[in-house]
Amino acid sequence: MRRFLAIVAREWRAYFFSPLAYVIVAAFLVMNGQIFWAIVNFLNSPNAPKGQALPLLFTNYYFWIFNLFVVPIIAMRLFAEERKSGTIEILLTSPVTETEVVLGKFAGALGFFLTLWAPTLIYVWILRSQIPIDLGPVGAGYLGIVLLGGYFLSVGTFASTLTKNQIVAAILAFGMLIAIFSTGLLESMITDPGKHDLLGYFNLWDHMEEFARGIVDTRRLVYYLSATAFFLFLSVISVTARKERP
Amino acid sequence: MIEVQSLTKRFGTQAAVADVTFSVRQGEIVGFLGPNGAGKTTTMRVLTGFLPPSEGTARVAGHDIVSDSRRARASLGYLPESAALYPEMRVREYLAYRARLEGLAGQEVGSRVEEIVGLCLLEEVADRKVENLSRGYRQRAALAGSLVHQPPVLILDEPTVGLDPAQIIKIREMIRSLGRERAVLLSTHILPEVDAVCDRVLIIDRGRIVAEGTPEELRRRLTGTPIVRAAFKGEVAAQEALGSLQGVVSAQVSPADGETRIRIECAEGAEVAEDIFRLAVSKGWVLRELSRESLSLEDVFVRLTHHEEASPSAQATAGQPPVETPSGETSAVASAKAEP
Repeated sequence: MRRFLAIVAREWRAYFFSPLAYVIVAAFLVMNGQIFWAIVNFLNSPNAPKGQALPLLFTNYYFWIFNLFVVPIIAMRLFAEERKSGTIEILLTSPVTETEVVLGKFAGALGFFLTLWAPTLIYVWILRSQIPIDLGPVGAGYLGIVLLGGYFLSVGTFASTLTKNQIVAAILAFGMLIAIFSTGLLESMITDPGKHDLLGYFNLWDHMEEFARGIVDTRRLVYYLSATAFFLFLSVISVTARKERP
Repeated sequence: MIEVQSLTKRFGTQAAVADVTFSVRQGEIVGFLGPNGAGKTTTMRVLTGFLPPSEGTARVAGHDIVSDSRRARASLGYLPESAALYPEMRVREYLAYRARLEGLAGQEVGSRVEEIVGLCLLEEVADRKVENLSRGYRQRAALAGSLVHQPPVLILDEPTVGLDPAQIIKIREMIRSLGRERAVLLSTHILPEVDAVCDRVLIIDRGRIVAEGTPEELRRRLTGTPIVRAAFKGEVAAQEALGSLQGVVSAQVSPADGETRIRIECAEGAEVAEDIFRLAVSKGWVLRELSRESLSLEDVFVRLTHHEEASPSAQATAGQPPVETPSGETSAVASAKAEP
C-alpha cells in the first residue's frame, strides 16, 4: 500500500513538471469557461427551465471532444515514457508488483484528471448563489465524470504499456476510445429493438445525460467499473509480458 | 549472497546467456568482464528480476529470483546501465521516492535519504533537479538510489561509464568501501577497473563464462611460465652463470650495442629476479634493467575473447582490432577503451 501510494504521488506530481500538463489545464479552463458562459447565457432567457442549466456542464460537445482527445494525452506517458528513458527498469526491479505499478500509475493519472475538474466546482458555487440548484444531479454528474475518466484512462494506460513511443500510445488510445464511443452512438441508427438495447448499454453519451439528470443506474456503474478493471487487467498482463523482451 | 546455477536466457532461439554458474560472497566485489553484447546486462537483468530466466536458477540473499522474486528484489540494489533517473525530480525527492518504493515509511525515509546524500557526497546538489546535474552527479545520484534501502547485495551495471577520470576514481572508492560488507557484482568492459576494484573476475563472452579467478590468477594462468628480462652493460658471459641459477628454465642471451640483453624463462613460482641481482653484484656486472614480463589483464581478456576473423563481439571489444601487446602497464589502448 505504501509503495502504491508512493507511485500515485509521483505520477500525480510528475504532470505538473511537464509543459504539456499546463497546456491541457489551459485548454480545459478555456473550454469550461466557454461552457460556463453558455450556461449563464441560457439562464438569461427569462423563461429558461433553471433546473436544466447545470447539466449543460456535462452534456455538451466540448465535453466529449475534450475527453476523447485529452485523456489519451494524459495517459500516454504513463509507461511509454519510463520505457523510453529506462526508468522502468528501476521501477520493476523494486520490490513492487506489476499490479501495484499499474494501479499506482492509473490512480496518479486519474488524480490529475480530477484535478482538472476540481475548479469547475466554483461554477456550481457561483450558480448556487444565484439560482436554486439541486445538488443530487450535480453529484451524480461528477460521479459520471469520475467513472468515465477512470474508464478512458484505463484504456489510455493499456495503450501506454504497448509502446515506447508516447505519440503512438496516444493515437492507439484515441483509436480505441473512438471505437468504444461510436459503438454506443450506433444506437440511434438501429431500429431492431434487441440490438438497440444492447448498443444502449455502450452509449456513453446517453449515460452522461442520465448522470447529469441525477439518475445513477446500477447497470452503468457495473459497466464502467468492469470495463475499467478489464483494461487495467490487460495493462498488468502487458507489463508482465513485456518483461520477456529486453 | 548471489548464487547462480546454470542460468540460461534465450531471446527467441538465440541464447544471450548460456549455462552460466557463479556465486558472489558477502564482502566480495566480483567484476563481470566482457565485450559489449557478451551477456553481462542480460545476466544482471535476470538477477534483478527484470527479465525472467529461460532455464536455471539463481538466488539473491537466499531468495529464489523467480519463486520469491519480491524478497530477492528487496535485498538487492540495482544500478542499471542507463543509470536512468526521473529528470524532473530533485535529488532528495528522487531518493525519497526510491526509499518509499522499497517500503520505507515516515521519518525513516528522511533520515535514510540524508544518510545516503552524505555517503554519496551529494549535499551540494541535493535540492537540484536531476536534469540539471552533470553526468558525474547523475551517476552518483543513480547509485545513491540503489543504496537507499541498505541492500546486502549490489548489482552495478557499468557504474563508471561516461565519467571523467576524477569521478571514476571517486565512484571506485565508493564501490570498494561498499563492498566491505556487501556482495557486489559489477559489470564493466574497462579493464583497469577490474584491477582497481575487484577481488575476483568473471570473464564472459558470447553468453558463456570463459574464465574466472582473481586478476592475478588469470594473468598467471594465461602467461604460462613467468619471464624475467635483464640487461647488463657491455658484453658479459651470462649464459652459463644464469644456467646454474635455481628456477631458471632457459635463458636467451642476445648482445645488442654495448649491452647484453637476456630473456629468462623461469619455473612457476620462482623468484629469479633477486638471484640475478645478487649474481650481477658478485660478478661486478652493471645491471641496467631488470623486469618481470607479465600480461596485463587486457591481454588476458583479448586472448580469451579474441575470435577468429572479425566476429561481431571481437569487434565490439574495443572498436578496433584486438592487438596482443604483452606489457606490465595499463597501455594507451586501455584508456582508449575507457571511453564509452
